[in-house]
Amino acid sequence: MIELKDVTKVYYKGTPKEVKAVDGISLEIAKGEMVVLKGPSGSGKTTLLTLIGCLSRPTRGRVLVAGKDTSRLQEPFLTFHRRMHVGFVFQQYHLIPDISVYENILLPLYPLDMTSQEMEERVEDALRKLRIKGKEAYRAKDLSGGEQQRVAIARALVTDPEIILADEPTANLDTHLSRDFLKIMDGLKEEGKTIVIASHDPLVYEHKGVDRVIEMRDGRLVGCS
Amino acid sequence: MSKERHKHILSFSITSLLRRKGKNLSIFLIYTLMVFLLGSVVFFVSAIKREAATTLKGAPDIVVQQIRAGRHDLIPTEYMEKVRTIRGVTKVIPRVWGYYFDGPTQSNYTIIGMDGESYEAFRDRIPFLSPEEAPIGNGKVLIGKGIARSRGLKRGGHFYLLRSDGGLKTFEVSGIFSGRSSLLTHDLIVMSEKDVRELFLIPARYSIDLAVYVRNKEEIETIARKIGEVLPGTRAVIKEQITKSYETVFGWRSGLVFTALLGTVLAFAILSWDKATGLSADERKEIGILKALGWRIEDILEMKFWEGLTISLTAFLAGIILAYIHIFFFGSYLVAPAIKGWSVLYPPFNLNPYMDAGEVFMVFFITVVPYTVATLIPVWRSSTIDPDEVIRGI
Ligand SMILES: Nc1ncnc2c1ncn2[C@@H]1O[C@H](COP(=O)(O)OP(=O)(O)OP(=O)(O)O)[C@@H](O)[C@H]1O
Ligand SMILES: [Mg+2]
Repeated sequence: MIELKDVTKVYYKGTPKEVKAVDGISLEIAKGEMVVLKGPSGSGKTTLLTLIGCLSRPTRGRVLVAGKDTSRLQEPFLTFHRRMHVGFVFQQYHLIPDISVYENILLPLYPLDMTSQEMEERVEDALRKLRIKGKEAYRAKDLSGGEQQRVAIARALVTDPEIILADEPTANLDTHLSRDFLKIMDGLKEEGKTIVIASHDPLVYEHKGVDRVIEMRDGRLVGCS
Repeated sequence: MSKERHKHILSFSITSLLRRKGKNLSIFLIYTLMVFLLGSVVFFVSAIKREAATTLKGAPDIVVQQIRAGRHDLIPTEYMEKVRTIRGVTKVIPRVWGYYFDGPTQSNYTIIGMDGESYEAFRDRIPFLSPEEAPIGNGKVLIGKGIARSRGLKRGGHFYLLRSDGGLKTFEVSGIFSGRSSLLTHDLIVMSEKDVRELFLIPARYSIDLAVYVRNKEEIETIARKIGEVLPGTRAVIKEQITKSYETVFGWRSGLVFTALLGTVLAFAILSWDKATGLSADERKEIGILKALGWRIEDILEMKFWEGLTISLTAFLAGIILAYIHIFFFGSYLVAPAIKGWSVLYPPFNLNPYMDAGEVFMVFFITVVPYTVATLIPVWRSSTIDPDEVIRGI
């Protein structure tokens, strides 16, 4: 499902601030797998996720997602790819704070040319799945951290993507909510989704539904279990 | 199928607009103000131009004046025979007219004497009066709206004017000019030639000037020169000169107007530029998020386009309507002093309501179009960067 070949991502290339956030990583993730990227802050987890999620392009190397070499794709195709295959849960959720929960979840559906009715059904589905029914009229910024996170997941799921990427999903959650989150991930895995989670939370990487833990340090892979 | 997307994006744009109420409201207000100013100037100038065109339309090709001691003096009416013999001249009309200063109302009336042919020509040219024919002669006169208002006169009313020898002469209002050509007729009194002569004590065989009409407009200058030859001591003023001197004055004024216009456009450019460069961090981040969620660049541009267009169209409409009301119903209070001189030349009056599609389009073109484009530039720039970087705020 996902294949990285000698991928390098350099920020501020050619300036004194140059950072090699990801440094020559090769990696394969199969369909239906649940993988955790683990590593200290600054090790490049988020960067790797954005590469997989086509939110950015590698400086060197190739990224293949769902059989397509996304590193070679033109911008419109990259966007298409993102729209069709990937659901991304950001580290800081990145909800739009002053529109409603409902509308936040609706956002990824706008470019899909669905009828209003279809869109409604999808959102209702996601709301139910993440148990945020009753909160849909709230503005996103009026929710608690845990609720915001569930909205972020609902938003990532609403397009029914094959790949789900989650960045530090439990960072702001207590143990109880973290378990909730993992339960949701388990459910998605059962549906056959490919899941990649970046986290240095033991609760996550020791979770039994996780197939593989990949450890990163300074942009490189240092271990796999 | 593909219509759905546009519908959704449009509705999201409206939500977005309402979300940033404060910011959008202030943009709307500034925008409206600018369109209002711009529209006022444009409407005012073109209304004045239109009025002036009416004034000049029926003017004679050549006006012959008697000059004595360097000044305009009465001209012997018999001179018209000499002019008439010049080849190419179709018509010569001796005119009797004058200015009358009315002390109590501190205003200047223009008084024109007309009979038969000249009256008919005048009537064809100027849309005036209520439907019925308004006869003149024997003290019956037509008056302009301004005079009617300042003296409280209605049809059938009577009033006096002072004769040049100090005696009083009575007149009866036979009709009042309608507003359609207010610049020309506002302070005008039209009476029979005989009445003008009595009022101003113009001797029977003299006129104020001779109005000459020419068959071929190209011959005007030649004919004017010939008039000078056959009638030494007179001056032949040709229409072009009248128009030209009028245009110099007008050109100079419209230069001022143009400067004002330029100022507004400049201010507008600044607003647009500010808007163009001033995407807030929030807005940028939002664009990044939308992109990350799979929105195409076109989708985002479309959304911002609707936003920009909604603001600019509503502000445009508001500004134009306000400008229209201001110019045509509130006497152009705000721009008239800026284009001073008109109010010196002419008494205050309401211009005739009129809207020219071309002008409205011009205002539209220098406001809505650049603004909408300006809003799209930064959006386009942000939306072409990888969403990852936009979100991180780089
Ligand atoms: N868009 C960017 N522009 C410049 N530098 C970046 C960018 N993204 C990441 N970096 C840098 O790349 C390195 C790796 O960052 P990254 O966010 O991938 O690490 P991380 O493992 O996710 O860390 P954390 O656990 O703190 O989230 C860091 O030094 C970071 O400053
Ligand atoms: Mg990170």
